[in-house]
Amino acid sequence: MQYLLNLLPSLLEGTALTLKLFFLTLVMSMPLGIIMAIARMSKFAPLNIFMQFYVWVFRGTPLLLQVLFVYFGLGVAGIKFDQMTAALIAFVLNYAAYLAEIFRAGIQSIDRGQFEAADVLGLTRFQTMKTIILPQMFKRVLPPVSNEVITLIKDTALVYAIGMNELLRAAKIAAVRDFLFVPFIVAAVFYLAMTAVIQLFFKWLESKFDYYR
Amino acid sequence: MQVLHASDIHKSFGTLEVLKGVSLQVKKGEIVAIIGPSGSGKSTFLRCLNLLETIDRGSIEIGGQCLVKTGPDGKASYAGARETAEIRRKIGMVFQNFNLFPHKSVMENLTLAPVLVQKMDLEQATANARTLLEKVGLEDKANNYPFELSGGQQQRVAIARALAMNPDILCFDEPTSALDPVLTGEVLKVMKDLAMEHMTMIVVTHEIGFAREVAHRVLFMAEGRIVEEGPAEEVLLNPREESTRAFLDTVLVAR
Repeated sequence: MQYLLNLLPSLLEGTALTLKLFFLTLVMSMPLGIIMAIARMSKFAPLNIFMQFYVWVFRGTPLLLQVLFVYFGLGVAGIKFDQMTAALIAFVLNYAAYLAEIFRAGIQSIDRGQFEAADVLGLTRFQTMKTIILPQMFKRVLPPVSNEVITLIKDTALVYAIGMNELLRAAKIAAVRDFLFVPFIVAAVFYLAMTAVIQLFFKWLESKFDYYR
Repeated sequence: MQVLHASDIHKSFGTLEVLKGVSLQVKKGEIVAIIGPSGSGKSTFLRCLNLLETIDRGSIEIGGQCLVKTGPDGKASYAGARETAEIRRKIGMVFQNFNLFPHKSVMENLTLAPVLVQKMDLEQATANARTLLEKVGLEDKANNYPFELSGGQQQRVAIARALAMNPDILCFDEPTSALDPVLTGEVLKVMKDLAMEHMTMIVVTHEIGFAREVAHRVLFMAEGRIVEEGPAEEVLLNPREESTRAFLDTVLVAR
């Protein structure tokens, strides 16, 4: 028991870093994903093709590699970021690519009639997206987005590779130092607690959108 | 007074020519029914008038303003964005599948466009919407969501939503095709009420009875052309063209 109490400060510190990376990534990759989804559907070919290329690159290489590239690779080229900034750049760009594809599927699943009804009423394309299409899209993409969000909380463990003391690395340091497996189990409990909160949050969100079909 | 003048409209989807020179003039207060078999181009024609499709050749004038014209080079050129938006306000559309906004209440469906597009204040828009809901007999459904309504009720809301923009011309694209006979009746009743108020209407329909009773003029379309047109009684009871007669026979037998 005493051991667990001694363990807590370092693990909580790791959790704080994990949560910081998690929330910042979410807050930035969501709007970016929406913009990218719309760009991906653009009739302007260069933009459309660029987005396809972008999604291919960021889905086609490991996130770990992207983190290493931004931190070390760009560092060698003389573009230096601190650890958090480097991790955020890689995470946001990577998650925006996945979310963009989810949002695109969501937008394309909305009946054409919705666009046409807004069109004949004289709404601009921006108004149509903002008030008609995106609100309906969010309801539809909640299940796949909750998947991504849960994956994200676990992916934050990857930044151990650039020496950031997130939850898993904090646990590992303690485990190696004390030659015990207990810190890993505590870390697992922490991750499970965080994913439980995310699941409850999405369940609540889904019920919020339940007022229409 | 002429409110719509479409002339020699041509439209192709890829290599398929759907409209092969369709012309239509509509006077204020006139009700025109367009009938014809599936694939005859009647819905496409209506969608061209509403800018849901662009035309390849021909011209459209609405309320004296030129929406699109064709120059000597044979290419259709549309009016600028601002003018197009202005012209679009004069023409409303009711769809076969209603296309109400499912995440908005009935009231919000009616007030959304007047507030966003016409910059009307919400109070005024709400008051107008109440009057319109009364007109279509749904004043008690203002706070319901579309999924809570029957198909007929949804279509009446869709009509009210189009009317909320105060259009000069209202187009209907097979407004009762997704409805059973009872619900069809309640929608047709609303349309008849509008006819009594001298609303200008262009109705693509399979309801021959409605066309006969309400329309001033009937157009029969087939294969992208207007085959026959004239007063409702004449075209529907005494068609000149063999294809019109054949079509009317199939439609009436099917009833």
